[in-house]
Amino acid sequence: MKFLNDISKRTLLSLLIGSTALFTACTDKESEEEYTGNDAFVLTLAYAGANFNYDYYTVRFDDIMSGSLSAVGKGYHQLGYFSYDKIGDQIFSTGGLGTAGIVRLTKGADGSIREVGGGLSFDNSLQDVIEAEDQKLVGVEISSNSDVVKLHIMEPGSVTVSTTKSIAVSNLTTVSGPSYSGMVQSGNYLYLSYYISDPTTYATPSTDQAQVAVFSYPSLEFVKVMTDDRTGPIGGFGTKSGLIKDDSGNVYALSHSNPANGFSQFTREPAILRINRNGTEFDQNYLFSFNDVAEGKTTAHLIYLGNGKVFAEMNTSDRSEQSTWSDAPLRPAVLDLNHKTINYISNIPEHTGIGRTLASTALYDGNYIYMSIPEEVSTYIYRIDLTNYTAIKGAEVEANFVAGFFKL
Amino acid sequence: MATLKLLNIREKLIRVTLTLIVVMTIGDLAHGQSERSSISGVIRSNTGESLPGVNVLLVHQQKGTATDIDGSFGFRELLPGSYLLQTSCMGFEPAHKEIELQAGQELKVELHLQEETYTLNDVVVNGKSATRRVIEQAYQVASVSTKELFNSTADAKAVINRISGVRIQEDGGLGSDINFTLNGFSGDQVKFFMDGIPMDNFGSSLGLSDLPVNLIERIDVYKGVVPVWLGTDALGGAVNIITNRNPAYFDASYSIGSFHTHRASVNGAWTNPQNGFTFRANAFLNYSDNDYKVLAEIVRNNVIVDTAEVRRFHDRYRSGTVKIETGVVNKTYADNLLFGLIASASDKQVQHGATMSTVYGGIMRNSQSLIPNLRFNKKNLFTDGLDVSLYSAFSLNESQVTDTLRGVRYNWLGEATVTTTGDGEVSNDGEYFRTFTTLDEKEWTNQLNVGYALSTRSSLALNYAFSYFHRKAFDAENPELADSKFPKSLTKNVLGLAYKFDFNGRWSMTAFGKTFLTRAKTSKEFDFALETQRVEAVKNYQHNVGYGLASTYFILPELQVKASYEHSSRMPMPEEIFGDGLFIDANPDLGPEQSDNFNLGAEYRFRMKASEFALGSSFIYREADDLIYTVVTIASPKTRYDNLNKTRVLGVEGNFLYRYQEWFRLGGNVTFQDITDQAAFIRNDSYTGSGWQKNYHYGYRLPNKPYFFGSVNAGLSFARVGAPSSSLNLNYFFNFVEKYFLTWTEMGSSNNNYVIPRQTTHDLEVSYSIQNGKYNISAECRNMLDARVYDKYYLQKPGRSFAVKLRYTL
Repeated sequence: MKFLNDISKRTLLSLLIGSTALFTACTDKESEEEYTGNDAFVLTLAYAGANFNYDYYTVRFDDIMSGSLSAVGKGYHQLGYFSYDKIGDQIFSTGGLGTAGIVRLTKGADGSIREVGGGLSFDNSLQDVIEAEDQKLVGVEISSNSDVVKLHIMEPGSVTVSTTKSIAVSNLTTVSGPSYSGMVQSGNYLYLSYYISDPTTYATPSTDQAQVAVFSYPSLEFVKVMTDDRTGPIGGFGTKSGLIKDDSGNVYALSHSNPANGFSQFTREPAILRINRNGTEFDQNYLFSFNDVAEGKTTAHLIYLGNGKVFAEMNTSDRSEQSTWSDAPLRPAVLDLNHKTINYISNIPEHTGIGRTLASTALYDGNYIYMSIPEEVSTYIYRIDLTNYTAIKGAEVEANFVAGFFKL
Repeated sequence: MATLKLLNIREKLIRVTLTLIVVMTIGDLAHGQSERSSISGVIRSNTGESLPGVNVLLVHQQKGTATDIDGSFGFRELLPGSYLLQTSCMGFEPAHKEIELQAGQELKVELHLQEETYTLNDVVVNGKSATRRVIEQAYQVASVSTKELFNSTADAKAVINRISGVRIQEDGGLGSDINFTLNGFSGDQVKFFMDGIPMDNFGSSLGLSDLPVNLIERIDVYKGVVPVWLGTDALGGAVNIITNRNPAYFDASYSIGSFHTHRASVNGAWTNPQNGFTFRANAFLNYSDNDYKVLAEIVRNNVIVDTAEVRRFHDRYRSGTVKIETGVVNKTYADNLLFGLIASASDKQVQHGATMSTVYGGIMRNSQSLIPNLRFNKKNLFTDGLDVSLYSAFSLNESQVTDTLRGVRYNWLGEATVTTTGDGEVSNDGEYFRTFTTLDEKEWTNQLNVGYALSTRSSLALNYAFSYFHRKAFDAENPELADSKFPKSLTKNVLGLAYKFDFNGRWSMTAFGKTFLTRAKTSKEFDFALETQRVEAVKNYQHNVGYGLASTYFILPELQVKASYEHSSRMPMPEEIFGDGLFIDANPDLGPEQSDNFNLGAEYRFRMKASEFALGSSFIYREADDLIYTVVTIASPKTRYDNLNKTRVLGVEGNFLYRYQEWFRLGGNVTFQDITDQAAFIRNDSYTGSGWQKNYHYGYRLPNKPYFFGSVNAGLSFARVGAPSSSLNLNYFFNFVEKYFLTWTEMGSSNNNYVIPRQTTHDLEVSYSIQNGKYNISAECRNMLDARVYDKYYLQKPGRSFAVKLRYTL
């Protein structure tokens, strides 16, 4: 009866984090009527529960700039460990409780959020789900404890798997522990970035080069690992911002080696590299150097805005002074990848990050960035005007953190 | 009263001792010069327990009295002469004693009553069973005798689960993981004992569902306030399982049931009345394939293709235990001096993970324990009124978890698929997490209890408990794991002192204090991957105190009220202080969990002609603070334990019992407990700048804890059915747990809450005995209506099952 106390907590944690849709598979039917109202803000509010579990409530709000936002008495509830991504007009919720699944959330006839479909159960939790250029979904199973990487192509309408490929981890690295940090699909290829993290100590002993694995798309055949030693590993713990794509299909790879985002050492300059569309090598003529542009300050979070501009959460501490695993202290800014400039946002307090995907936990609606900013004891919504780099404070968020921030 | 003070009458804390012969001793102490004489004394059972409520009569003088809570009585102002002392107590043979009283003599008498074998018709029953005497203590305690269950296949778990305030949440069938909660407290917050000995490190092969009912005499559940003599740092209470202490008996049974379940137990004791040599042995075996049907999702190629009723295919559980004890009893140097050995082993197939969505076909757990032990106790050691008992045990426990299949995944149909990569290589991954972990645990436990009677109305009890615990874990598949490299140890000292005072025969009070001292030790690696990388020993000392008061008052002989309070604490475990070197960081500042526990209860027992009634109710209040919880982090995979959570428990419990003569009984209990989160702020390192954040669950009822539950049982007994000394018994049990929620009910829209639905189960047992219970056969049906029941994360428990049990006793 003391089994769970006796085995290492590693087991317990992964038991609960790994997971599918036992609870979710048996819910709402497709509604017959379409919702006809305006789009509203949809926030997934997360609350810490017992036994490493979280409660997630996906709630619709018309106004997020005043009052308070809470899930008391409302919201679509999911228990376990989930991440949220909006693709098309659906929110895909990945994870579960003791199982690894993916379900779709959409609006019901009354505008409230409900679940539709979901009948997949993966061996390990999907680390990420992205949208491919052919509107299909690409999911990846990758874990520092496994010797296999699995890629899945799924149909977004029915969430069924059409292609699955398993690749030996030994193709990506000879040392143990590739940790996922980002994935994009562009042209003929699927690009997957990762960094090396010791599965037992979380130490990152290999920080001397950038590595991105290249797979053919849509056949998902492993092509190669491209490397570049002008900078260090791509991406970091949890943020999934290692790779972004611009309007013309060029891919940008971010290297920070931030102690605040899971690195135990950094040995290369922080930078952003470019992979040109359909390229299988880094563009040696492109380098966005944080030392040059941002006085050595780095970022682990990126959202692509358009026209070469990127919204970033900059860490205001030098890497040598960052406290480990803190994802703090952060200050938002807009980077211009073409002109290699930075503009910090004013009227927003320095804050702690939540170590999750910024593209899912902040909303870019074409005009503004909306995001939740934790202050002393409460979290508030801020609306950031990207034209004049200022921010306005909005509603108080009555939740531990915001796991998803969308308009639907 | 002044003369009473001169008498040195022994009085004790209630305990189970072992005496074979009925002793009637008269100690005559002539003190004082008064012409008037007196008789006083104490009445005990033949096992040494003091008996309260025994009627004592001086036959020709028309004088009568009843023993108080410690079994004491007295007659004063007597003239010299001949007297005939007579006792009457239901459940015990009446005793007579002729007494010759001298002028001025203050006579001290100790009577041991022989238990009566029940052959009752319309006789009014007055006696108090051991169970009832425990209940009448000032502590809030529930005590269940297993007497009426000996022919059932019940185990300790099933017996305890019928006690108010107790809820056992199970993962599945026989041998599955269970979560015991007592008034909302669970895990290490409630401590388990067997005959007063801590069961913490008996190993998983000696769990509650391994212990057959035939081993057990009764189970006492102390709620919130734990007596000093158990010598422990429990936060929310303690459970003491009292095994059969009869000096000579034999009881063998075998049962066979659904899902290929077999249980056998042989229990016996033999004592030589001449030289006091005694030998006791218990052996029991449990086996089940647990292949009951569950409703599960069938996954093929990552797709849920069907939901179907399937049999569990990898859930076998086997356990076996031999427990022997030998030594001498009733010697001048010891009432009991016994050496014992417990050997047990179990293995278990693991069918699924934390939920049923992950199916396993190869993961195994096993456990082996060897526990040599020594038990000594002596009443009136060196001087009258000084009772000493000592228990010492050394437990060696080894357990393994194995997950060593390579690249294999199972679905609920038992179909295995093997993961191969594009290169054709088979994955080396385990089913869940590749491991072959051996846990090596050693514990040395010592309990010393000293009781001393200061006067006829007051006594002191001292407890000193010392334990040393050492754990080494090694994962052969991952030898680099920190857990494999750094063993942990914990030394614990508990010192308790209790003072008991009886204001009179109706009012008794106990005040107590406890002090805890722990030293936890491990080694730790510093500066990984740096030149300064090194391993250092780390130690942690903790000190804390607890105190409390328990009082009981008999308003009427039939109506008892009791109130008790304890400021209790639970010292942190090594893992909580040191972490596991992986996901859980050390927190050397971690302090004990604290709780203020208050109970107020009343028991009313009365008789109407042939009917006997007992009604009880209690109110429960717990204010737990500094609860150890895991700090929430999301930017980091690591966490740590910290003191912060606060909860409040407000509960009411009720129980009733009705008995009509010896052939009908009806009992039941109901518990309602409101357990709410009382922390206004929580500390986390992820969300806010200060690390502090509002607790958005403040005031809400804690999820995943049943809050309203109860049980009813009814029994019919018929004597002489078909044969002269035969009996036929029918027992019916009804169990009810109101639906409860896995999460906070206040949050989210109401239509998709995670609900564990209301559970109702009906069990029926029929047993038939001949030759006064020498040969017994019983049949039972559990979960008669085949309800789909689960109480942990939708893990399905067995449906309808049948069992037959054969039992032979001497």
